[in-house]
Amino acid sequence: MLKMLDPRRFYHAVGRRKFLEFILLAAFILFFYGPLLNMLMLAFANEYQAPAVLPQEWGFKWWRYVFSQQSLVSSIVQSFIVATVTTVVSMILCIPAAYSIARFKYRGRKLFMLSFLLTNAFPKLGIYTSIAVLFYKYNLMGTYTGVVIIHMINSMMFMVWLPASAFRAVHRQQEEAARDVGAGPVRTFFKVTLPMAVPGIAVATLYTFLGSMEEAQGTMLVGLAKVQTMPVAMYGIVLDSSAVQIGAVFAILLIIPSALLIFAMRKFIGPEAIAGGFKMK
Amino acid sequence: MSKSLKQKLVAYGLVMPAFLVVMLTVAYPIISAVIQSFQDEDTGAFTLDNYKYFFTDPAQIKNILYTMYVVILTVVIAIVVAYLLALYLRFIHSGIAKTIGTLYLLPRFVPAMCAVYAMITIIRDSGLVNRFGQLFGLDLKLGLMYNASGLIVMNLWFNIPFAALMITAGLGAIPDSIIEGARDVGASKLKVFTSMILPLSLKDVIIAATFVFMTNVGSFTTPYLMGGNAPKMLGIALFDQFNRYLAYNRSAALSVIMFLICSVSAGVYIYTNLKEKDWEQ
Repeated sequence: MLKMLDPRRFYHAVGRRKFLEFILLAAFILFFYGPLLNMLMLAFANEYQAPAVLPQEWGFKWWRYVFSQQSLVSSIVQSFIVATVTTVVSMILCIPAAYSIARFKYRGRKLFMLSFLLTNAFPKLGIYTSIAVLFYKYNLMGTYTGVVIIHMINSMMFMVWLPASAFRAVHRQQEEAARDVGAGPVRTFFKVTLPMAVPGIAVATLYTFLGSMEEAQGTMLVGLAKVQTMPVAMYGIVLDSSAVQIGAVFAILLIIPSALLIFAMRKFIGPEAIAGGFKMK
Repeated sequence: MSKSLKQKLVAYGLVMPAFLVVMLTVAYPIISAVIQSFQDEDTGAFTLDNYKYFFTDPAQIKNILYTMYVVILTVVIAIVVAYLLALYLRFIHSGIAKTIGTLYLLPRFVPAMCAVYAMITIIRDSGLVNRFGQLFGLDLKLGLMYNASGLIVMNLWFNIPFAALMITAGLGAIPDSIIEGARDVGASKLKVFTSMILPLSLKDVIIAATFVFMTNVGSFTTPYLMGGNAPKMLGIALFDQFNRYLAYNRSAALSVIMFLICSVSAGVYIYTNLKEKDWEQ
């Protein structure tokens, strides 16, 4: 086994193509996962003095520290509330719109889809700052409602485009068959169309929820420190952290919801499903 | 009521709520920002001074050029690497390819701030790379913090997986049979690539490049945490104008400038997506 550690022996043992593939895999993991794994290690390092590569002492010291901070714990709760409300509201608004775009043909349909592209082309901060003027007028600054609206702006494009491409993939004949045996349009939608479009909707939901969990810029601007979500709290930590471990613990807390959701929805996540959210048809 | 009229009512009725929200939270703020950008800070009279400032002030000109430099390098490197990765994932069927095919989906869902923070723990002067170097008696200073190279490295972390995913989805739609057919009649590998694979996947390459371009022009998190003080990325310059100098008209003008930069690529995107004249469908 030790023989394999010599690159030249390894090269001759597995052949050129395999050897190059291993190098690619190693480079890929080092670049894309190295930083995340290093952070995972830091989160459990009680003591980490330069120049050691591995921590001097392992443990949960910084986890206890983070959870003893009242403001940090409350930011976790606020993040979950905001993300859940954002997801539910944008589903209620966008899924009917997606269905309409996928199933009906009418004037202005493309133009409507295109309007979502605006949110990606115009700088977010430019939108936020103009919205802030509106929010001041209607007393929405520093409220949950204001923050939820800001988060929805970011997610509406996916919430319309992804389910629309999923609805379009459902064959009309299947809906017609249901109608033929006497099901009403509403029942057809809930019993036939919706279940078949679930993968696309699932990916859109995932995007919306995670997007809301990580949004910081708009929340800072509109939340006025009254609504403090996890990423907002983390900005403060990263910028004036005395110990890198606090930031690491917080980052891991922020990743956990993503990891759980991705695991739960792993069946639906694939290149095709995600790519559908960036195309207009 | 006729059937087609009823259908139209349903179609518009489903799309209207989402449409109104987009108009109110995206279109209205954008229009009011455009108007504001032409107004004098004090008198509200029409003026071009807000724009003039960004094209005459040496520091601001540097910011614009710096942003273009970082964004264009990011787009070119990310697309080239992603294309190679996508080709590998599409045409090599090995265990390692499958592993990378799963692993590259994840970075898309890691909260931006966590990723940036994780990267910082690696590349800064007391980071992991430096500590590893010291094991071998080297004092490695990557010098990637607070400059363009570091920003580009971080942008690549975010954008290579995304672009590869978009291109893989496009390559996946090319059936094996037509490639085999071309090979059977004697086309070389290079010929198959240049005359079949490349043209067929070009649309997805353009979509990927557009989104990489647009997200990076207005990027905030990465330069906020990793960027230097001067020159700045435009996202930070905009944040400063609004937050530090309270120059609302100037920040509106800068938003419009950034939007115009993005529109160049958005225009290409729309052109490739809607080549047929199906605007009103």
